[in-house]
Amino acid sequence: MKKSISLMLTAMLSISILSGCTKATPKTSDSGVKQEYSTVYSGELTTLNYLVTASENEFAAAANLVDCLVDYDKYGVVKPALAKDWTVSSDGLVWTFNLREGVKWVTNDGKEYAEVQAQDFVDAMKYVLDKKNNSETSNIAYSALKNGEKFYKGETTDFSEVGIKAKSKYVLEYTLGATTPYFLSMLTYVCFMPVNGKFLSEAGAKFGTDNKNLLYNGAYILQTFEPQNSRVLIANDNYWDKANVFIKKLTYSYNKEATTLSPELFSRGQITDATIPTASIDEWMKDTTKKETVRPLATTFYSYFYALNFDPKFDAKYEPANWKIAVNNLSFRKSLFSALDKKAAMMTAEPYEPERRLSNTITPKNFIDLKGVDYTQLGTLAKTSAQSNFDSAKAKDYKTKAMEELKGKVTFPVKIVMPYSTASSDWTNRAQVIEQQMENLLGKDYIDIIILPYPPTGFLNATRRAGNYSFMECNWGPDYADPQTYTDPFSTEGNYNKINLATDYKESNGKGKYENMVNAAKAEVLDTEKRYKLFAEAEQFLIDEAFVIPYSLGGGGFIASKLEPFTSPYSPFGVSANKFKGQKIMDKAMNTENYKKSFEAWQIERAAALKVASTVK
Amino acid sequence: MLKYSLKRLGKSIITLFIVISIVFLFMRLMPEEGYFGQGYEKLDLIQRQTILTNLGLNDPWYVQLGHFYKDLLKGDLGTSITYRPKVAVSEIIKSKIFYSLNFGLGALAIALVAGISSGILMARNKNKFWDKLGNGYIVIINAVPAAVYYIFLQLYVTDIFKLPILFDKGNPLSFILPVLSMSLGPTASYAMWMRRYMVDELNKDYIKLARAKGLSNRVIMTKHVLRNAFVPMAQYLPASILYTLVGSIYIESLYSIPGTGGLLVDTIQRQDNPIVQALVLIYASVGIISLFLGDMLMAGFDPRINLEKQGGTR
Repeated sequence: MKKSISLMLTAMLSISILSGCTKATPKTSDSGVKQEYSTVYSGELTTLNYLVTASENEFAAAANLVDCLVDYDKYGVVKPALAKDWTVSSDGLVWTFNLREGVKWVTNDGKEYAEVQAQDFVDAMKYVLDKKNNSETSNIAYSALKNGEKFYKGETTDFSEVGIKAKSKYVLEYTLGATTPYFLSMLTYVCFMPVNGKFLSEAGAKFGTDNKNLLYNGAYILQTFEPQNSRVLIANDNYWDKANVFIKKLTYSYNKEATTLSPELFSRGQITDATIPTASIDEWMKDTTKKETVRPLATTFYSYFYALNFDPKFDAKYEPANWKIAVNNLSFRKSLFSALDKKAAMMTAEPYEPERRLSNTITPKNFIDLKGVDYTQLGTLAKTSAQSNFDSAKAKDYKTKAMEELKGKVTFPVKIVMPYSTASSDWTNRAQVIEQQMENLLGKDYIDIIILPYPPTGFLNATRRAGNYSFMECNWGPDYADPQTYTDPFSTEGNYNKINLATDYKESNGKGKYENMVNAAKAEVLDTEKRYKLFAEAEQFLIDEAFVIPYSLGGGGFIASKLEPFTSPYSPFGVSANKFKGQKIMDKAMNTENYKKSFEAWQIERAAALKVASTVK
Repeated sequence: MLKYSLKRLGKSIITLFIVISIVFLFMRLMPEEGYFGQGYEKLDLIQRQTILTNLGLNDPWYVQLGHFYKDLLKGDLGTSITYRPKVAVSEIIKSKIFYSLNFGLGALAIALVAGISSGILMARNKNKFWDKLGNGYIVIINAVPAAVYYIFLQLYVTDIFKLPILFDKGNPLSFILPVLSMSLGPTASYAMWMRRYMVDELNKDYIKLARAKGLSNRVIMTKHVLRNAFVPMAQYLPASILYTLVGSIYIESLYSIPGTGGLLVDTIQRQDNPIVQALVLIYASVGIISLFLGDMLMAGFDPRINLEKQGGTR
């Protein structure tokens, strides 16, 4: 209590001192701001066992407690972490890492336990690939490592056959099953983190169930872990890179209504940051004092798109066979493609600056670059990414064309089943907006959009995975730093919209054109430039043929935060972006204007940093 | 009495068995994706099947049910699977019951003392100031939805008396409002029933006889009225005590108290079968035991009540 009062007083004092100069750029630790972060949360960690979890909430915690072999800097350039350097064989199959010496594992009370050694990575991998441990990230590991899948499936029981070896105390060697150009980026995933074998076997099933049954080699130690109450992280005194850890203490207090309460707690100066919900953004924007504390929240790399289903399995009363004929007609698809007003749809989630979250490609901007050039700017994708799909004149032209081509084959209006989850009111509103907007534009004689609400529990099983839709908002997040990751949902094995069943695109090998294009890109493992260009062409094809309509990016919205933006490690995948290392707390929250300036500056610096990094490579 | 107790026990066990088996089977009808976190989409088929097999969820339902009862007979409630994987269910529930029990019993104690004493005060001053004031309170508490005065208390009372808005283990001041809020409802109901039963008793013939015999008002009140009026209330006392285990969903969520309130809903949503089963077992037992104890207590207070004989003979 005393602490929270003193925190509040400090905050109030600093606000009152600075109230005369609200437009000034916020100051950081150099000006004596207490470097302690506090927040409220409603989603509790179910486990601390980073080797089994696939939940973002949990690996965000692990990111601050355990380090990986490599890390990213604030521009997204790979840099050494537990590995001080590495080499890769000319065929790209054998990766050798030289570990940093003297890095310590410590217990939750800060006592040294052991040194981090190469064997720790081997022990962790053995645990991840042992199927009795229920690791939800084992597939990421075994998709890359030689014989990894065999070991997981029990086809071999000899772990020495798996492509990971401790060559000496400080030399670790990975052998891959196939050349994987993005392997380095995978190493920032939880399944590649180390664990101390002795500690693991002593803890047994209790490993990671609480803060005492965990060892730390990262920037922070989990000092307190009381589920549904609080958790406290304190800076690790033994950390190898402690000069870059500025925030000394992180306090998380549980509150079931955290989302609703946090803006008020932020206003009272009790917490460091709060996301402002769509429902209250108006109130904050209209209040001159509050407005100065609000800034845009960065978008994420979750890509949202509207998928057109080629394998409709919905209720007969909605005429799935009719939809199937219609969806196989390019003009019909393009009429829907041009008719969707993304901006109108986005207004339901982001009434201020909806454009910021819209995306015209499946792979988001700033995800990956080729020698400093963003992937979405390669080839014809550059034009696509700059241009919105929405064009009412084109939509009507395509409608006329489609009606001619499909005359006698399809019954108009075509019934379009569009399910949505009732989990968020935004989505409910959006479904209604889209129904009205597209029907008004294209005419009810042409399409009849049927919006179907589903409860959040089992939503995807009931809808997308069951083929129970015609047209639906879907999303996908990346797994590694390569454009291939965004092709997974459209693969033949995927359960998104089954574009392999599109009738007009079969090629001589019996596979669809898109699949062949992606396979050609996947096969190009040594020439990155060629690889990326091939993937960009495949993505262009996907959009041109209107198999999907790119819609938006995740995240976005607004935040009131005293954390200095653009100081944390930047990475669209893995755990790096969840780190507090490198971040600082400012005396007051940054406003939108300053945020935009910093964002522009960061973008310029980033482009330069990426360029330098690509020449070093 | 012993025969009666044994019969009740037998019936209770059968009821428990049916309730738990039904809940157990219903939980097995939940969609399989619910057993995985956000990662479901990224898992491949082999992984999903491996994890489900390891959790025993691919076994036929009767095998799963068999395992459950076998473990239960050994006193093992199992370990959590999604809420806090690999942590013993008993450990999770124990730590939460501690909070709910303390808050609940605190509130109950306040309600009993305040409710019964004000009920007595109202009955003795029927239609006078105290009675009217008490009735006013009872009407307000019953008419206004609890959520309204709970929030009112949290927002304004914290402000006026500078009390913490959220529960803080290390600060006893933060216990005051939740306990107080939880006691408001029961206080009103104890006061209302106590008053009613006492007024009923006061109008009975034997009281008139006692007065005619010249007994003092004090003796009439404590020896006769109070005791008889308390009999019907005694029946619900064990239930009130035991139900504190269940926790208050609303108060606990409002003040962020890590109690059992809401745990059942949470664990059903996350499909943590072992915790759901354990909670259902505990809650159903609480219901059954409190009814039984209530009957016993009533019989203890009133020797005229005989639980074994069917029908009444006067």
